[in-house]
Amino acid sequence: MARIQLENVKKAFGKVQALDGITIDVKDKEFFVLFGPAGAGKTTILNCIAGIAMPEEGAVKFDGENVNLTDSAHRNVAMVFENYALYPQMTVYDNMASALRSKLYKTDEAEIEKRIQWAAKTMKMENLLERLPSQLSNGQKQRVAMGRALVRTPNVFLMDEPLAHLDAKLRNSMRTELKEMQANLGSTCIYVTHDFMEAMALGDRIAIINKGRIVQIGTGDEIYYMPCNEFTAQLMGEPQINIVNAVISEMDGSLIATINVNGNNIALKLPEDERVYQKIKESNLTNVDIGLRPQNVKYSFEPKEGYFKSSVYSYESIGNKSVIVAECADDQLRMIAPNGLSVGIDSDIYLYFELDRAIIFDANTKEYIVRYDEQSFIDLAASMEEK
Amino acid sequence: MAGLTLNHLFKRYDNSGKKKKIKNDFAVKDLNLVCEQGEFVALLGPSGCGKTTTLRMIAGLEEITDGEIYIGDRLVNKVHPKDRNIGLAFEDYAMYPPLNVYGNVAFNMRAKGIDKEEIDRKVREIAPLMQIDDLLDKMPVKLSGGQKQRVNIARAIIREPELLLMDEPLSHLDGKARQAMRTEIKRLINKIKCTTVYVTHDQLEAMSLADKIAIINFGVLQQFGTPTEVYDDPANEFVASFIGEPPMNILETKIVDVDGTFFFTFKDSNLRIAVPKRYYSVVHDGFCCKMGVRPMDVLVGGEDSKGTSEEIATFENLGDERRIGIRVGDVLMMLITEDEKRYKRGDVIKLEVREEKTHLFDIETGDRIREKEI
Repeated sequence: MARIQLENVKKAFGKVQALDGITIDVKDKEFFVLFGPAGAGKTTILNCIAGIAMPEEGAVKFDGENVNLTDSAHRNVAMVFENYALYPQMTVYDNMASALRSKLYKTDEAEIEKRIQWAAKTMKMENLLERLPSQLSNGQKQRVAMGRALVRTPNVFLMDEPLAHLDAKLRNSMRTELKEMQANLGSTCIYVTHDFMEAMALGDRIAIINKGRIVQIGTGDEIYYMPCNEFTAQLMGEPQINIVNAVISEMDGSLIATINVNGNNIALKLPEDERVYQKIKESNLTNVDIGLRPQNVKYSFEPKEGYFKSSVYSYESIGNKSVIVAECADDQLRMIAPNGLSVGIDSDIYLYFELDRAIIFDANTKEYIVRYDEQSFIDLAASMEEK
Repeated sequence: MAGLTLNHLFKRYDNSGKKKKIKNDFAVKDLNLVCEQGEFVALLGPSGCGKTTTLRMIAGLEEITDGEIYIGDRLVNKVHPKDRNIGLAFEDYAMYPPLNVYGNVAFNMRAKGIDKEEIDRKVREIAPLMQIDDLLDKMPVKLSGGQKQRVNIARAIIREPELLLMDEPLSHLDGKARQAMRTEIKRLINKIKCTTVYVTHDQLEAMSLADKIAIINFGVLQQFGTPTEVYDDPANEFVASFIGEPPMNILETKIVDVDGTFFFTFKDSNLRIAVPKRYYSVVHDGFCCKMGVRPMDVLVGGEDSKGTSEEIATFENLGDERRIGIRVGDVLMMLITEDEKRYKRGDVIKLEVREEKTHLFDIETGDRIREKEI
């Protein structure tokens, strides 16, 4: 197993700068997730590590050693792809044995058998070993692809959206199993995904990638609670975070955030929090964006003290709970509600912001300024890192 | 008046052309369904369950093997698709590439020879509803997936059909666009109040959009009810595990009698859950069945909890919520919590189950075992 470093890696495809100075340092035995929208450059990073793509600038290092000139086969990496890439004419057993029977990684058959039995047990597919890929379901194929990687002792596992082809149910259960397996692996793993639940659930650390650059690197908690900008905040969470524009003014020592709801100005007092007040005042901004997760917007169908009026845009069940969408300024606000309410579309609704859970962004640059209870979240993130 | 009635509908695909005579099983088997006027009904099931076949029979694109289809009060078995007065929106947008959006939306009415002013009035009326007013001059290639689907739906509803049929209209869109489009469809149907049949394999889509859901498996209707009914009161194990994410925990159990109190017990596990009193009339000591409970109804108990001590097998922090997995025999039992506390693998928690929320299923048939009506 190895520590994997990328130093200022750049790579262009024609005019498109696919990677624009990527620097990451993946610790030995770490489960590291590359997360971002389609086309962000995640797979290209993986390919650079595997040696399938060559960086034009920068260095790829395995345990501190530059491998830029080492070809793919000699880097000893194990890859798992989205589309499984199994040999159709070989049984599951032979597929899994294929790498170990190659010249480079030649292993004796008894040892191969032992490792395959172990991997098959880990992936719960002991009963599939004699089958051909065509006789497998998609979930089983992906297990075989993973199992094939597991039987080796590579420097690093590289996984490129291994669960993306599976249906929602299977994806969730495979994710949970992968999480359970991860502890037993004790190996460095770099995992590409565009699904925030996979990123949160699996990653020891997550790197958010966008347009060939690293936006933020941190633990799931750091990124979820202290996103470095609005882009990152919106990636994490389903339904996504509400972002409300507000004008800041000062009155009797308190900060007032004025928001516009369907043409009416609503003044909300920002709850006192030393750090929030200090950071907002220091930044000298009059225009901020308030980020509020859907679970931090409360509602009432009757007028209520401290609540302001809006109208219902839609009401949707998302399984064990529902989402109310309300109109606010030119935008929509989403909030969590129980199932089975009788909510009329376009009817009145009264909303309340739990501002003491808010994240404050600069409205111009969209960068993170401060959040409420910042210190406790810094502590939480630190405590997780120890674990 | 019913908007759509399916009466003992059967479909068997004919393979008489093939040399080997294999008798195909029915793709749709004895399907009965009544959709009220203006109702939004989702046909939900795994791929290959017969939901699209059903939709195509309603549209008249597929022959009916046996049974009757009524649109309104009209028997349409022998009616040509174009005379059934239906609007169709499929997964692929199937737009005419040389025509702009306006031309695509207006195409059907032009073909019918409706006069220009009337067409124009209708297009202008429907465009803001589907939020395509500023796209009317654009060519299909310039549109995003979400925009194409809007145009596609606009084209289906402009004819003011008696019945709107949609087949997985959102499955081509990515997560964000899908979420937004779902909201738009919901609002639209609410406005135009057209009877709608919507095919999907995504339970979330069905739950969030539909007034009623018909859950189909192997061509057989499993349950027909409102989203709340199918979620809270599933007819069988299939429905219980198909609806909800993460799915309902379903475990084989043996009920034991301890001094007059019944408990669910599980193989290779010390987990014990009290059987709700209402089931006492249908169970006995040694009774074997399956027990189902939703991950939301499994809880982490406090310090003085009487729950069983269990070791955490998996812990997933998903930001908005956290999921904990516990091994019960060879099944991973999931629970969801919004509690901020972080656990790790190997931590021991007190596991509590909301007993009153448990369901019983027959091991063989998967049917719900219900308490006896008193």
